[in-house]
Amino acid sequence: MRVYEVFVKKDGRNEFRHVGALEAATDELALVLAREVYLRRAEGDRLWVVRRDHVVAAPGDFVDPNADKPHRHHDGAAVAARRMAARQSPS
Amino acid sequence: MTRSWATMEDFEAFLDDGGLVEADDPMPDAYRQAVFAFIEMHANSELMGGLTERDWIPKTPGLRHKMAVLAKTQDEIGHGHLLYMVAADLGVKTRVEMLEDLFAGRSRFHNVFHYRAVTWGDQVAIAFLVDAAALISQQAVFKNCSYGPYKRILRRIIAEEGFHMRLGEDRMLRIAEGTDRQRLMFQESLNRWFWPALQLFGPDSESDDVLLRWHIKSERNEVLRDRWVQRFVPMLQSYGFTIPAPDMRWDAVRHRWDVGSIDWEPLKRTLAQGGPDSSRRIREAADNWSRTAWVRAALSDNGAAANGAGNGSTSTGGS
Repeated sequence: MRVYEVFVKKDGRNEFRHVGALEAATDELALVLAREVYLRRAEGDRLWVVRRDHVVAAPGDFVDPNADKPHRHHDGAAVAARRMAARQSPS
Repeated sequence: MTRSWATMEDFEAFLDDGGLVEADDPMPDAYRQAVFAFIEMHANSELMGGLTERDWIPKTPGLRHKMAVLAKTQDEIGHGHLLYMVAADLGVKTRVEMLEDLFAGRSRFHNVFHYRAVTWGDQVAIAFLVDAAALISQQAVFKNCSYGPYKRILRRIIAEEGFHMRLGEDRMLRIAEGTDRQRLMFQESLNRWFWPALQLFGPDSESDDVLLRWHIKSERNEVLRDRWVQRFVPMLQSYGFTIPAPDMRWDAVRHRWDVGSIDWEPLKRTLAQGGPDSSRRIREAADNWSRTAWVRAALSDNGAAANGAGNGSTSTGGS
């Protein structure tokens, strides 16, 4: 038996979403079980199952550095403050 | 993301801050054991509840309700599947070890499944009162649960338990508006099930309950129990039924129903597998497990190979 991760897509707009996992002997049985366990009430119209040992997961702190790059965002605060000042000053 | 916490204090600060623990995090072993035991008991209860529900498929009156009971049975067994998977991923016991412990009476399941449902009225009382109690406690866990995989799977379980409770209320109304005999049947069921349903919440939480400290549960047992009482006592009374609590009184100051002192001995007996129907329930579940061995064999690696259900033979249709 192998563990499969289950992904479901709701409609044309949303992304595939991870919903859980299950154990199955084959790909085909994994699809059948996923449908019976995760999709009994039209929770989605597309289904992926992926063997857990085929998932490539980033190790340790691989993605952590990107939490510290403020220059990749702009909160617009400086521009908003200047606009506010411009509105308040008599012209 | 893999994180680590140098001390229990760091870990608890992370939890207090609303942090979610994932299956591959190096969580303290005490936390792992506590969250595992909680999910295992929930999984066991879904399976035992599903088997009870299944017993009533042939006896359920009317095609519409029979179909609903079929669907509910599948839901409960499905919840068992989801929860055993989440529990197994904690690495404490495998799914098979959990099932073997359940069938050998070595692990726990909710008190309400240690009683026998004798009449259709019992089944209605269970669907209404017990499912509502389970829903109230699951919602409280979901709201603030620190174990991510359990929190996410609860969202789905709670949505389906909501259907079950509404179905139970629908049946209860039907009986409440029915003949005197139907009303008497439900009153007798209420007499049998009121206290077990109330005790599902357990005795008052201990002040040092780690389930609360680690945000596995978010509210104290007595708070949840009181929520159930304030909601269902007036509702049952408004339908003309009598609450089987002789000491119950209306507290005009606090503006609440007080059910009086609670005898916890029946709950303790069920936790020791000594409830009125414990041994039969466990034996039936174990028999069911051995009777269905051929299904598992057919779905196993060997069985699937023998049936020619090879890998890669199915197209998923891509994205």
